[in-house]
Amino acid sequence: MRRYLTPFLFLSPATLLILLFFFTPVVATILLSFTDLSTTTFQNPSWVGLKNYQDLLADPFLKKIFLNTAKYVALTLAFNVGMGLLLALLTSLVPERYGDPFRALWLLPRILPPVVYVFIWQGLLAEAPMGLVSDLLGVSKNWLVAAPWTAVILANGFVGASFGMLIFTSAIRAIPRELFYAAAVDGATTWQTVRKVVLPLLAWPILFVTAYQTLSLLTSFEYILLLTDGGPGFYTTEVWSLRAYHLALSNYFGNVEFGLGAAMAAVLVVIGVVVSLFYLKIFNFKALVSEPKIEVY
Amino acid sequence: MPLLPKNWPLWLLVLVLITLPIGVGLLWLFLTALFDQVHGLRPVGDFSPENWRFFTEGSVGGRPSIWVALKNSILFAAAVATLEVLIASMAAYAISRMKFPFRTPYLGMILVLHAFPAVSLLIAIYYILRVLGLFDTLIGVILVKASLELPLGIWLMKGFFDQLSWDMEMAALVDGASRWTVFWKVALPLVRPGILALGTFALLSAWGEFILPFTFIVSGKSWTLALYMQSFMREAFVDYGLMAAVGLFYAAPVLLLFLLGQRYLLNIYSGGVKG
Amino acid sequence: MKRGIPVRLEGLSKRFGRVEAVKRLDLEIGAGELVAFLGPSGCGKTTTLLMIAGIYRPTTGAVYFGDRRVDPLHPRDRDVGMVFQSYALYPHLTLFENIAFPLRLKKVPDAEVRARVQKTADLLGIGHILERKPAQVSGGQQQRAALARALVKEPQVLLLDEPLSNLDAQIRLSARAEIRRLQQELGVTAILVTHDQAEALAMADRVAVFSMGELQQYDTPEVLYHRPKNTFVAGFVGSPPMNLIEGTFTGDGFRSGELRIPIPGAPTGKGWLGVRPEHLALGEGGHPARVLVVEPLGREVLVVAEVAGVRLQVLLPEDRRPEPGGQVGVVFPERATLHFFDETGRRIGPE
Repeated sequence: MRRYLTPFLFLSPATLLILLFFFTPVVATILLSFTDLSTTTFQNPSWVGLKNYQDLLADPFLKKIFLNTAKYVALTLAFNVGMGLLLALLTSLVPERYGDPFRALWLLPRILPPVVYVFIWQGLLAEAPMGLVSDLLGVSKNWLVAAPWTAVILANGFVGASFGMLIFTSAIRAIPRELFYAAAVDGATTWQTVRKVVLPLLAWPILFVTAYQTLSLLTSFEYILLLTDGGPGFYTTEVWSLRAYHLALSNYFGNVEFGLGAAMAAVLVVIGVVVSLFYLKIFNFKALVSEPKIEVY
Repeated sequence: MPLLPKNWPLWLLVLVLITLPIGVGLLWLFLTALFDQVHGLRPVGDFSPENWRFFTEGSVGGRPSIWVALKNSILFAAAVATLEVLIASMAAYAISRMKFPFRTPYLGMILVLHAFPAVSLLIAIYYILRVLGLFDTLIGVILVKASLELPLGIWLMKGFFDQLSWDMEMAALVDGASRWTVFWKVALPLVRPGILALGTFALLSAWGEFILPFTFIVSGKSWTLALYMQSFMREAFVDYGLMAAVGLFYAAPVLLLFLLGQRYLLNIYSGGVKG
Repeated sequence: MKRGIPVRLEGLSKRFGRVEAVKRLDLEIGAGELVAFLGPSGCGKTTTLLMIAGIYRPTTGAVYFGDRRVDPLHPRDRDVGMVFQSYALYPHLTLFENIAFPLRLKKVPDAEVRARVQKTADLLGIGHILERKPAQVSGGQQQRAALARALVKEPQVLLLDEPLSNLDAQIRLSARAEIRRLQQELGVTAILVTHDQAEALAMADRVAVFSMGELQQYDTPEVLYHRPKNTFVAGFVGSPPMNLIEGTFTGDGFRSGELRIPIPGAPTGKGWLGVRPEHLALGEGGHPARVLVVEPLGREVLVVAEVAGVRLQVLLPEDRRPEPGGQVGVVFPERATLHFFDETGRRIGPE
């Protein structure tokens, strides 16, 4: 086994960190969800079995949060995929020298620090005289309070659209030019070319982006936390992952209910594990592994 | 597309319209940071140095100095990027170029973790950091951030190592190198595009990182710029001018990189970096 | 520079999963000899070379350099130099640093590195372009740099994996002579892997012919040409390849369908008759044949003719060129230039 010392050494830092911050947390989330760990019992938690899950089901707000989550995921996803597709098509329909700068511009929301990005939204949506939206509509309101869902979905959507845009753009570029020439020779209009040639070939990328973003939207809450923190008012935009975070880690609601939060997170973790294992299955994994050609270390 | 439609200026116009919010948002940030007041997008009053008082005032409203936060942010981003690139490269090199038992399952695990949404683990990680005594330390957050992005990094770097020529590596071994030497002297210099891509991605991602420091850091002395800026958002009275100035200062490196290297950024993010 | 040492392979075999790439190979190479490993792709010749270099571990068997058993050793402890088909120069380093690489790894003092690199590079005629990167020089110069890198540490064994196959045809001929000259001057033991039989015959003291992981014959080029051990070697060595006719030996001749060739003292039984195209002639009193194809090769012309249902390749001087479609007579040579093989392809004569 000494001959495997070298690969072992190369892999050990990564393996250690992955064990520490992926594997242990997955197990810990499940384990913690069976305890009554909270601010008051931090020193001395005890096992409570499925109590957290029972509490969860008995929570009168569970339905509200569940519906919020569905709404958030479905609408944001629709915006992300739709806008991503629209951007990929539009930037492909104009000359390259215009297309690329626009694609780059759409990367900005994603690479700007989220705190700054959200602050801009807050500013634009503020009351008159500061807020641009109030100014344009001539109605002075804090639109973040008046239309929180629109704000949440647009803010997330402007960040998420670039993912689909880039993937769809690569897919469009991979289409053989001959197909476009053939369509042109056959007398197809631009719209017909897009509908009959481009869109059918984008079916797989669209499915991939949808599947991928569903999982990441289900668990992400960073922008909602910054934008509305689940408000305004009572749980208006509180989604599942944010609720878990609030229960377990937020200091605003007084007592921190770690075990209950862990139970909510555990649901997401299990979904995450199952879905990502499923990705591995549909991926052509074997094709990605080839045998090394060197047998010494 | 290979054939441009005749009416492409029309499509360009549509593109301009739907992209307008991004441009307007940035413009708003600039104007608000520079002027006393901005109504909509109309500056009212003069250039306002008042907005930039955080530079000279040691502490704004009891906060730590912005220089402390800046130092922490630089430290955080640099450390995360360095760790991530180094550790991911080592692991990716082994996976791509060496034979060892369970190599395929290991790669499968990396792929699964790459798709796995790591934010769902924050609650448990909080607990683990407490147990390790790393809660409320910059080191703790650095380790967490670097670790959570490792699967992506390993996957990305593996792709680059896969393309290296086997002949060259064999030549280096015959020339007298160990695998360790090959890694440092031959393989790493040749995957420089990958290191740059992953490094840029890691720097940008760590520079903007909010949720991890927000969750795992309490003390002002360990605040990053993200926490510094967010602390203003929690206040009842919002000083837009001051916040816009802080925001502009905080986002400046990102905007600069964007202006200088759009095409490069596009390439990196098109390379399958997770969104 | 020091002299090369003998290399000995004992029962060497290599298995990749279920595929046996090299099967129980025994081979000895004398000190200072240049031996070519010749065979089609996938015959195990490169695998054998990589086992000698230390990149692959043999599944069974041993490799000796002189009296020293080297197969458990790391490549760096074997004292070999190697040139790859792709040259495998480090693109991020200058030619100087490429050639210096093995010395730098040995922590040779800088002044000595400079001297040795310059000397080796001058020997190969690339001393004036050492500051360039590999991408900035020609293919021939890259090949020389790769050779310089292999030679700079004065190895006891030099391994050459298809070093000439990426070169243009013209440079290839001069590079052959050049490598041979250097190898003899330095006295280094060299192994050349190639699929080009002309290259192997021109350069090597001895040639090992491989097929399907097995050593077919290991002899001097003359013996390979004149006395191939089996039909594989007979067909692989020589260009255009030897005509191999399946039929029956009758003691006083050979019969294949309608074709009958009298050969005094022929063996008996089913087998193959081999005859090289250059040993066949056209002329009066030969076997009546029809010319199918006439292919001018410059100084010579290759004729494909059909004799009693058997297709034969005949190599003729340019001035003896027949008309396609015409009737000719094919004359078989005397017994000494014929080759007899039994049913399994093994050589059975003439002695």
